[in-house]
Amino acid sequence: MPMKRRIDWAIYAAFVVLVMFLPLVMDAFWLNRVAKYLVFGMLGTAVALSWGYAGILNLGQGLFFGAGAYMLAMSLKLASTTSLQQGSDKPVPDFMLWNAEPGAPTELCCINKASFLWLPFQSQWFGVAMGLILPVVLATILGTIVFRKRISGVFVSIITLALVLLVRLVVIDSQPVTNGFNGLTDLGWFNIAGLEFDPYIVPTYYLVAVSLSLVLVGARLLIDTRAGLILQAVRDDQNRARYLGFDVPAYQTFFFAVSAAIAGFAGMLYVIVSEFASPTFMDLTFSITMVVWAAVGGRSSILGACIGAILINTISATVSETEGFAEAWKAIIGLIFVLVVLYLPRGLAGLAHDFIDRLLARKPAASPQPLRVSDASSQLAE
Amino acid sequence: MAQAALTIDGLSVDFAGFKAVNGVTMTVDDGELRVLLGANGAGKTTLMDLISGKTKSTDGRVYLHDTDITNWEEHKIARAGIGRKFQIPSVFKELTVRRNLEVASCRKPGVFANLRFGFGAEAERNVDEVLELIGLTEEQDRIAAYLSHGQTQWLELGLLITQNPKIILLDEPTAGMTQAETHKTSEIVNNLKGRHTIIVVEHDMAFVREIAERITVLHLGQVLAEGNVEQIENNPKVREAYLGSKGIS
Ligand SMILES: Nc1ncnc2c1ncn2[C@@H]1O[C@H](COP(=O)(O)OP(=O)(O)O)[C@@H](O)[C@H]1O
Ligand SMILES: [Mg+2]
Repeated sequence: MPMKRRIDWAIYAAFVVLVMFLPLVMDAFWLNRVAKYLVFGMLGTAVALSWGYAGILNLGQGLFFGAGAYMLAMSLKLASTTSLQQGSDKPVPDFMLWNAEPGAPTELCCINKASFLWLPFQSQWFGVAMGLILPVVLATILGTIVFRKRISGVFVSIITLALVLLVRLVVIDSQPVTNGFNGLTDLGWFNIAGLEFDPYIVPTYYLVAVSLSLVLVGARLLIDTRAGLILQAVRDDQNRARYLGFDVPAYQTFFFAVSAAIAGFAGMLYVIVSEFASPTFMDLTFSITMVVWAAVGGRSSILGACIGAILINTISATVSETEGFAEAWKAIIGLIFVLVVLYLPRGLAGLAHDFIDRLLARKPAASPQPLRVSDASSQLAE
Repeated sequence: MAQAALTIDGLSVDFAGFKAVNGVTMTVDDGELRVLLGANGAGKTTLMDLISGKTKSTDGRVYLHDTDITNWEEHKIARAGIGRKFQIPSVFKELTVRRNLEVASCRKPGVFANLRFGFGAEAERNVDEVLELIGLTEEQDRIAAYLSHGQTQWLELGLLITQNPKIILLDEPTAGMTQAETHKTSEIVNNLKGRHTIIVVEHDMAFVREIAERITVLHLGQVLAEGNVEQIENNPKVREAYLGSKGIS
């Protein structure tokens, strides 16, 4: 493995180790907060994959995040004893009871016209499966249409932006099944083989931390595959790739869908640590904020974009506790974004890479020789 | 007689009433190097667009060997065996030179077939050879965006060589090159002779003399003449057509 790649992986390892050790030094309250930031980090990674590597600036990533969140939240709502005991002996979400037509049967199948959609969500794992399947299916349909039609650049951004706003409206409007703008609250706990993931316990933190680590490594390995390289080629020059014989829309759609799956996964984890799902997940500002995280961290870096998200959120949380600074902070974030776009197009990860390059270049000529020998032997060992 | 690699039969395209290519018929033999000549706007690039699927023809057919490839999707035509170099050099700018060639070395078009690591020792050896041939071995770890204009053109040629199609279409491969660069390009192209069937659009007559066997002259979207260098240079119709523009130099 070349030196640069080894350093790269060492940084990944360091990040994972750091994340794994945090519970030793943090109380439950902060741990829950950090878990949320790790989820946002996962979103940063999803944005980097589609923006940095596929060249698709998705301004509606919140759609996939929201889809994942709602799918699991529906299952967890049905697992919530408090919300189900609102005068019915059968499991029916509280908001459906409050809004039921007089005389409607108090059963999930038929309390209102669309409530039957909730039936399969009585199984938590159905919710989990749908939290991945729905974003992937949406992304595949959208990607197939958009990329086959060779829509690219800013037009894709506008379409994704319009779509997330449209879906947000539909969710708010479908009060009987989604509880409208109130979202799904008072959820039960996620449960694996009897272990309940109370958001304020350490295992919940590890559920998020391990998930994020797997996503980071998985995404990184994915872009190291041939397909990942071809994707970057497509990003650089679609036509050139096409005339080399690659089915360009297939590559774009595949990675768009992977990015959507990661966002959906993040949505589910967010529901577990924050105990609600809300149409605000599909607010335009939220989707744009994700893009800012990725830009600051480095859109062409899977880990950089993740760290960007975690950093900005940590700083935000610290700063907004200072009275009177909260509003100013929003302006500062905007300013940071502009500065990064102007002067640091590769974000913090770009800075780090330049720094590593300089360190490697400064090394005396003595070291490359033994390195190459070890390279050759490691290749032989493969 | 040699076998026909590419057969073009009455190919036309109509751009809202304007026929940029109008009933072109020509046959290019297997292993032949054919030069397309013609003044600006004669329809040379458009003819390549039609062959490679970039533009859909409104009439006529294109055959690759015996396969009718008329109006197929670009990537399918490419997979069938036609590679193309663009007039404006296009390479993968943010990838290193070597990475560029590795992409081109990939024989499988689909996403799922490529969810694996590495390109294999044979592909890497082939990439090494191509680097040597296009003279970019020293630059293999540079990001393509930082190459000079000439080097970028050679890299794109390298992409084609690595792709290894039966037929290579080259649209003005020496455009904007210095004399030395032009000469090197003609060496690369000469090196491909025999291994590939090549169709080159070119203005530079020095270059044409270095590489050409047969020449087809296009004029106003139609074939005006066909023959070897000497025949074309002495053809009165060609001289006349060129007098209106800049003339064969
Ligand atoms: N997409 C198009 N729509 C309309 N006219 C076109 C289009 N493409 C090319 N043309 C016209 O067709 C003619 C031939 O162009 P081109 O094939 O580029 O010429 P050449 O490459 O021989 O210089 C030119 O007059 C050009 O303006
Ligand atoms: Mg042209």
